[in-house]
Amino acid sequence: MASAKRGTASKGDGIIVFEDVPQALQAEKIIKKAGYAVRLIAPPPAFRMGCDLALEINLVEKPAIERIFKKEGASCAEIMPITKGTAELCEIVKISDLGNWTMVKAANMKMTFDKSSGVIVNISGGGCPDIPYLNIELVGKPLTQATRPKELGFTLCTVMLDRAFEECLELWQGGNER
Amino acid sequence: MMLIAGTIPSKDIPLTIGSVAADGDFLTVNRQRLPRIQGTGAMISAALKITEYFELAPPQALIVGDIGNGRGSREMYRYLINNLVKLSPQYLVLHYCMPYIDLMQELCQAIDKCSPRPVTIADAGAMYGAKAAGLSADFDIMTPDFSEIAFLADSLATHPAYISHHLFNCDLADIPKLIKAAHENRSDARLLLVKGKTDYIAAGGEILEIINEPDVPVLETIGGTGDTITGLLAALVYAGVKPLEAAVIAAKANRMAGKIAQPTPATQVSHIIDAFPSVFKEYLCRWSDICTG
Repeated sequence: MASAKRGTASKGDGIIVFEDVPQALQAEKIIKKAGYAVRLIAPPPAFRMGCDLALEINLVEKPAIERIFKKEGASCAEIMPITKGTAELCEIVKISDLGNWTMVKAANMKMTFDKSSGVIVNISGGGCPDIPYLNIELVGKPLTQATRPKELGFTLCTVMLDRAFEECLELWQGGNER
Repeated sequence: MMLIAGTIPSKDIPLTIGSVAADGDFLTVNRQRLPRIQGTGAMISAALKITEYFELAPPQALIVGDIGNGRGSREMYRYLINNLVKLSPQYLVLHYCMPYIDLMQELCQAIDKCSPRPVTIADAGAMYGAKAAGLSADFDIMTPDFSEIAFLADSLATHPAYISHHLFNCDLADIPKLIKAAHENRSDARLLLVKGKTDYIAAGGEILEIINEPDVPVLETIGGTGDTITGLLAALVYAGVKPLEAAVIAAKANRMAGKIAQPTPATQVSHIIDAFPSVFKEYLCRWSDICTG
């Protein structure tokens, strides 16, 4: 089994907290598109409801990010200096070679694809309600044609499944695509 | 009565409660159809196979559609909080749902008000919520997999997505240490069945049983094969089997069904579920003194 860790943006000193995971994912996309450094992290304990995601930013960029949010119609609960108690997402993925198939594991989520066709054959792990929904939406679809999990789902399980999907796609396009 | 509560991956299924019945490749609960796929559907399907085999009343299920936005989960929690004492189940199984800390706290208060208190089993999002709320010790049984026992062992994580890298990188041989750490954090239930290449059954941080045969590694790739273990275990307890023995039988039966089904990583969980009746017929009497006929 191989492990890999994705390169992360430099550590910032500010945090943006949101009401839910989809808001955070949308904001990450907007901020990245605008060219600013951003990283997904857990909010500090006072902001945790059970399935939460926050963004780490450079606090000096707060006015610019607020302007981008306004322009794009995005919203957040608060932008503030980073405090103790935040946590990083588990960024490590584990890859298992299963003969004709490859399984990629990211935290509690696993995605398996067929090496010869690039088709997603199974999704396992997780416990949030969008995972069975993503199972219906993604299993049987080629990686290159499937919608990314984070475009469909809502939860931290989805964020981890998206991480596994990203790695599956990279493996398929990098070595196996025919 | 055993009540199983969990969400279904649908935008349209309203909050529904009723007896579970098989309907070809689907299940029905009070005329609502649900697929036998990863999640609550697979878990209920496995539980139903046990109740059918022992000719017991089928499980009662509380289901609601939720595709992850949490609306159905909130309805489910609210219904349980407001009606649990009246429903008074002897066995309460909580499964896929959003892990809302505040609602889990209220639900545990409602469980405490039940007399007698139901046997409580948590897996999936309900287990995440219980741990994040600091209420794992309120549960009788939890059924984590490898990454989830690392989550229970991580005192700071409020979701498996935030497991510390050093815990996620643990070797499978470290599972006994993770079980001990989870107990020291008060993040374990009274009985744990840790599902994986080797299944560990533990209580109070100590390993009681280890099951690793037959070895069917491909089961890890098949979505729902952990859910089926939880369903088997819950229904065996409902059938009167002691929790420890029920956990051993559930782990063995899931493995044996995997062996009989001869799956590949592309196999779907319904194929494994369909193998359970032949496993029960062939092995239950050999593994225990619970026999029928």
